[in-house]
Amino acid sequence: MANRVAICAVAQTKFETNRWDARMQGMVWEVVDAVRQQTHLAFGEDGIQAAVTVSDDVFDARTISDSAMTDVVGAHFQSEEKVAADGAQGVYYATSVILSGHHDVVLLAGHCKESQPASRNMVTHLAFDPFYTRPVGLDYLATAAMQAQAYMARSGVTEEQLADLVVRARQWASKNPVAQDNKPLSRQEALASPMLADPIREAFMYPVSDGAVAMILASEQRAAEITDRPIWVTGLGNCHDSFFLGERDLAGNFALQRAAERAYAMAGIDNPKQAFDVVEIADQYAHQLPQYAEGLGLCEAGGGGQWLSDGGPDNDNVNRSGGMLAGNPLMLGGMARMAEAVIQLRGEAGDRQVADAKRAVAQGATGPAGQLQTVVVLES
Amino acid sequence: MGKDTTDQELIVSRQILSIPQRFSTGPVMGRFLRELRDNKRIMANKCPQCGRHQLPPREVCAVCRVEATEWEELGPEGVIHEFDVVYYASPDPLTGETRKTPYVACWAHLDGTQGHAPLWHLLDAPDPQKVRRGLRVRVVYADERKGAMTDIKHFEIIEDAAGGDG
Amino acid sequence: MKTKNRNVAVIGCGMSKFSSHREEVNQPEMIHEAVVEALEDARLALDDVDCVLHGNMELFEMVHQPDMWHVLGSGAWGKSGIRLTTGGTTGSTLACAADNVVASGLHDVVLAIGFEKLQEGHTTGGITNMADPLWGRGLQTGALTGTTAQQVIEEFGEERAKLAAIKLRTIMDENAMRNAKAHRRLQLDRNHLKDYADTDLRLVGELRMLHMCSQSDGACAVIFASEDKVDAFDANPAWVVDHETVHREETLMFTPEQTTHRAAAERLFARNGVTDPVRDLDVFEVYDPSAWWGLDWMREFLLLEGDEHLRMVENDEIGPDGKIAINPSGGVMASNPIGATALVRVAEAAMQVRGTAGDHQVPGPVRLALASGFGGTLWTVLMLLSKNKPQLGAASHG
Repeated sequence: MANRVAICAVAQTKFETNRWDARMQGMVWEVVDAVRQQTHLAFGEDGIQAAVTVSDDVFDARTISDSAMTDVVGAHFQSEEKVAADGAQGVYYATSVILSGHHDVVLLAGHCKESQPASRNMVTHLAFDPFYTRPVGLDYLATAAMQAQAYMARSGVTEEQLADLVVRARQWASKNPVAQDNKPLSRQEALASPMLADPIREAFMYPVSDGAVAMILASEQRAAEITDRPIWVTGLGNCHDSFFLGERDLAGNFALQRAAERAYAMAGIDNPKQAFDVVEIADQYAHQLPQYAEGLGLCEAGGGGQWLSDGGPDNDNVNRSGGMLAGNPLMLGGMARMAEAVIQLRGEAGDRQVADAKRAVAQGATGPAGQLQTVVVLES
Repeated sequence: MGKDTTDQELIVSRQILSIPQRFSTGPVMGRFLRELRDNKRIMANKCPQCGRHQLPPREVCAVCRVEATEWEELGPEGVIHEFDVVYYASPDPLTGETRKTPYVACWAHLDGTQGHAPLWHLLDAPDPQKVRRGLRVRVVYADERKGAMTDIKHFEIIEDAAGGDG
Repeated sequence: MKTKNRNVAVIGCGMSKFSSHREEVNQPEMIHEAVVEALEDARLALDDVDCVLHGNMELFEMVHQPDMWHVLGSGAWGKSGIRLTTGGTTGSTLACAADNVVASGLHDVVLAIGFEKLQEGHTTGGITNMADPLWGRGLQTGALTGTTAQQVIEEFGEERAKLAAIKLRTIMDENAMRNAKAHRRLQLDRNHLKDYADTDLRLVGELRMLHMCSQSDGACAVIFASEDKVDAFDANPAWVVDHETVHREETLMFTPEQTTHRAAAERLFARNGVTDPVRDLDVFEVYDPSAWWGLDWMREFLLLEGDEHLRMVENDEIGPDGKIAINPSGGVMASNPIGATALVRVAEAAMQVRGTAGDHQVPGPVRLALASGFGGTLWTVLMLLSKNKPQLGAASHG
């Protein structure tokens, strides 16, 4: 790369089950205003030159959902482009905008309100094709359940291990001021929570959540003026798996492995087990934590169960944010992971700080059972 | 694939998809709608920097990128800036109803508006051909209001202030 | 000071046939038609593509994250990709994004796909849902307004204005008649302009059915490659010089005080040494949702004054052999698969530069071509393409 890109500021709303008190624009302004104040940047040629937004028209029930965002991302008579996928893809795209040389300073702002539709499952049900997969009633929960069945059978990960992950997530979430579900939960309570789609119990699933995340990205030349703690994007990768579930190895990590390989190649990493001080995995469902840990190369393929037994999540400093299990809406799971990674690398993570954190990997997923995976490597 | 389908029956799948929504209005739009419902008045917010009004009121002044924190009542009368005589109506996606045509919609600058912020609504115009830019109009409220844009029924033309050919 | 990291060119274009009812293909199949054609045009295989960009306006078809399903037809399996959607400007945003992504060095060969299958949903409902649910949604009648016609008529007189608009429409149709892919090819007759202007079905004010764009099903695929790959593939390039995106505040106003069209044109031209747009540009593929907007925006985009734009139409200066060829493809009034439409403008402009537009290729060399996208609350995206490879870091950006 001819240039480097830094994330100069991040802000997140406190994720809530129902942000009835704000509409989308208000929620996004909270985080845009926050990053603007952190960086003292104005909007315009000398400051924030363009915006990349992240949102989904079906969730927002609004065609061109970014048209609601223009004012609050300062895009009146400026550029705004919407990435319609997990905000991790927004980080990917915003980075490319700066590396291309087209802009030097980009505002990235994503939002989603899962509380707005009667059920987020009704939204994700529409991701399935009208002829084959939709009529059998699939939605992302049902596909995640199939993924969980396949994965647990292959890896030997048990329901008790998943319950422990949930307990752990709540413990770390209690130290994260923006985390939604931060009340402690016992293993018994987790195991007793209602079964939604076998083997996924309510406690093993990310809760319904509303929120917004904003970041400011800048080129190397501009970053130094904007912040004294730039966090460098040193590796990026994303990859698609196929659509029909029967064509995929649901217990495997076809897309994630390739996305990680691309990101690691760019960042010059050949031993992911040792390379990272901080790991943030978008665990929409508890089983995805060990599964995606395999895909990221933190342990061997099929070795997620052993990795859990060996204390992998604690050893590798995984999801000190509380993870997606603690509560982020569908469009923001990966982006919130990247925000946490930045906070850790800046040494601003308070009680959940990883000591001496210098390099992080953060992952986000889009689509059914993580069909599209995005991996970003960040360094201080 | 898709090439020689002339002899095939092309099966079509018909579905109606709807997801019930609960839209939050937030403190800014929420206040605007409450004022319509409770007080029959139109509140715009005003940018503390450039002084322009925004209708509908929005969290931030789009031009200055600062919170538009001041509120002012506008109207209830105003002047037609633009208007449309609609001859071909599309069904309302929410109700499925189609308005009788021709009908008129207009953008009116309410008295007191700073900057370019016309209010867009239907115009009660028995003779659409008589509608002109510059005509004075007044907001007419619905008898039953629930905190929605339809609490405004329409604009009506103020006959005694009609400016002729404008 | 910003300098483009490396050069990018369009090396292949593909389009499905545009029509009102592509009932014999489903969405991924329709996309696949365009992808196959683009690969053939570029003389590439899917393996040569690194990254797939995808966009449409999903509330039209009511498929959430359609790029997931469309992996079946887009070729994105095993590849990188990003989905970008910005309403009517989606296609042009995809083109700008492809340029950014290739220029960035992250990927060398990017396939951008825009599509829409409007007959699978309710188009006006889809557009009306763009309105804020709390504000205009109860009032909006899709994208129809007569206010621009009213303004043009007030400025130039009813007869002259109406004739100019309908003549522009007819010129677009004449171009569409030469484009086998076009959806609506009406064989409009120049002898009947007054008839059309006075008697065609009225929609809103002086906006009539004939003036309006199509509602089409269709897909467009465009392949962008880095300079190295252009050489390695021995490709036929249309170089991306630059692009500009200008949005407007949230509230939809059909007649704003300032247009994003003029702002985008001024900025893009100033950066790239275009001082006399009509002279400097050989082709302009403009996103013209209606003949009235097409007419009015000619003045905005080409930085004209007074009645220059009307005179260009009246004097037949915008045809394929005119001073500037406007929409040799027939434009948006002929075909409008919304998520693809703005990408089709880029593809058509690139085809003209590359000399591959076949029956609707304009005579003479095409050195510089402009493509515009339109959508949202009257946003504009512009992309400038050239036959000559741009000099990086020389004068332009900044």
